[in-house]
Amino acid sequence: MKNPIFDIENWREIGTTLARNKTRTFLTAFGIFWGTAMLAMLWGGAGGLKGMLMRNFNGIDTNMGVIFAGRTTMSYQGFNKGMRWSIDEADITSIRRIAKDIEYASGVSQASVNIAYATKNKNASIAGVEADYFRIQAPQLIKGRLLNESDIYNTRKVALLGRSVADEIFGTEEPLGKFININGAYFQVVGIVAQLSEVSIGTRLDESAVLPATTMRRAFNRGDNVDFFIFTAKPGVDPDEVKPYIVRAIRQNHPIHPDDTPAIQMMNVAEQFRMVNNLFLGVSILALFVGAGTLIAGIIGVGNIMWIIVKERTQEIGIRRAIGAKPRDIIVQILSEGMLLTAVAGIAGICLATLVLLVVDHLSYDPILGSAHFQLEFSHAMIIMIVFLILGTCAGLIPSIKAMRIKPVEAMRDK
Amino acid sequence: MIIKLDNINKTYFGAVPLHVLKGINLGIDKGELVSIMGASGSGKSTLLNILGILDNYDSGDYHLDGVLVKNLSENKAAELRNRKIGFVFQSFNLISYKNAVENVALPLFYQGVSRRKRNILAMEQLDRMGLADRAHHLPGELSGGQKQRVAIARSLITHPAIILADEPTGALDSHTSKEVMEVFRQLNSDGMTIVIVTHDPGVGAATDRIIRIADGIIQPEKPEIKL
Repeated sequence: MKNPIFDIENWREIGTTLARNKTRTFLTAFGIFWGTAMLAMLWGGAGGLKGMLMRNFNGIDTNMGVIFAGRTTMSYQGFNKGMRWSIDEADITSIRRIAKDIEYASGVSQASVNIAYATKNKNASIAGVEADYFRIQAPQLIKGRLLNESDIYNTRKVALLGRSVADEIFGTEEPLGKFININGAYFQVVGIVAQLSEVSIGTRLDESAVLPATTMRRAFNRGDNVDFFIFTAKPGVDPDEVKPYIVRAIRQNHPIHPDDTPAIQMMNVAEQFRMVNNLFLGVSILALFVGAGTLIAGIIGVGNIMWIIVKERTQEIGIRRAIGAKPRDIIVQILSEGMLLTAVAGIAGICLATLVLLVVDHLSYDPILGSAHFQLEFSHAMIIMIVFLILGTCAGLIPSIKAMRIKPVEAMRDK
Repeated sequence: MIIKLDNINKTYFGAVPLHVLKGINLGIDKGELVSIMGASGSGKSTLLNILGILDNYDSGDYHLDGVLVKNLSENKAAELRNRKIGFVFQSFNLISYKNAVENVALPLFYQGVSRRKRNILAMEQLDRMGLADRAHHLPGELSGGQKQRVAIARSLITHPAIILADEPTGALDSHTSKEVMEVFRQLNSDGMTIVIVTHDPGVGAATDRIIRIADGIIQPEKPEIKL
């Protein structure tokens, strides 16, 4: 026997049945529609929220640690507690030698300065960095080039200008190749940069000039000291695992008690990043939970309606059985009604969710940070649809089995 | 013999067991037009259900068109009903949201006949019933007599071995009843075997043979009084 699934009349018939009771069909379909839409929106929305937070870390290697010099809290080797110390060149050399699990590292020095060009000047920050700095925290290079090993090795008097600073002191003039005056010393502008991330370690790049670390120390009499030391651990290694080596390296050069943890401080960016990640895992689970609740409510609605449909059509089913419908024919008929309703309403729900996510994504778009990716992955949409179809079929199964069991005689009595 | 019942027994096991059919023996030949008559509670509906393979019986044998109808699976029963029996009911039992031609074509749907072919065959049967111009009307738009003729067209579409009619004129006025009986007579003269269950003596009188059932037993035929 031909499979009624492929018979156009079967589908026409389903269409007619569903169309016969428009309000009821609409309300049931709306339950499913809303269920899928909610689930899809929550799923995509959770991803988007995460994306919004994650884009704050754009360009940042999150497996990062930052080492600060604190004050000593214990006396050691004849030095009183409360002593100040600074991270210096020697420390950085020692760290590089001892801590093998460091991938990239850079000392960072900062200062507040006055930057002048022609008649314009502006108060800004400067940061002296090593070439690896740009691998840890990548800026957006608007034009020109970044600083390189050679600039640092040769103590070149070159600078990167933050976007805002460049706009303010150059206006429409081309800054590349021009010499700017930073507290009396002249530097040639080789690149214009903007900060990619919302999060920044140290000064905000847009408001600063970035100089080679060596040039900065020489030009501004900073000696060997740096303000902090940033590094990334190799993939698979947590910055916390690197810390003991760094501490050991530093203690070779400074009289710091072995148990004096506050003296050498570390901010573990990786850990903070993980916390954010976990938070959003929680948000996603919550979203799925709430979405699934809506979904189940919709499915129960379908089951209910199928039940009513079967009750209402007892006589019709009896007639069909009398004139030769097999139990399977009846099941297929009732089930395909439920499946059609679920499929159409579900696809509509996913379409709505996609539309809403599209609008939200558009609203949350940031020219520098980019899209937060408020979007429903195709695979997620498929999962939602398949789960819905399976559950919808299950919900229709009980009523259709009941329908299948209707005996033609019972239906005939049902006059 | 198209229908052959041998010692059919049927008991309904309710609160009080009800022995409805008590050893029914019955034969109906091909081309006969017979009526089964009896008061309500006589067992005639049960007999009809068994003849129509709508219900099982407890003991005995029922042969329909040479096939033993006994302990059939739901699927087999459905197939036999579809191919061997044309049903005509008192309340027409048309599907209200399908038009006449779709209703007539429905049994073929369950045989897997293509839509195109179904509709052609259904139109032929409707035409035979003089309802070609009503083909696209819904049952609600047809008169009682027309509905019953649509139902008869539906019963004929599978070329069944027998037509079982359950009080086919019960819902019709006397004039329309005569029309419908005329249709049956016409079909019978074309060779169709027809069994009509009724309690209307007028209908019974219009058939060739009356089988009377009372208290679950077939009554002996009255000798015909010849004048």
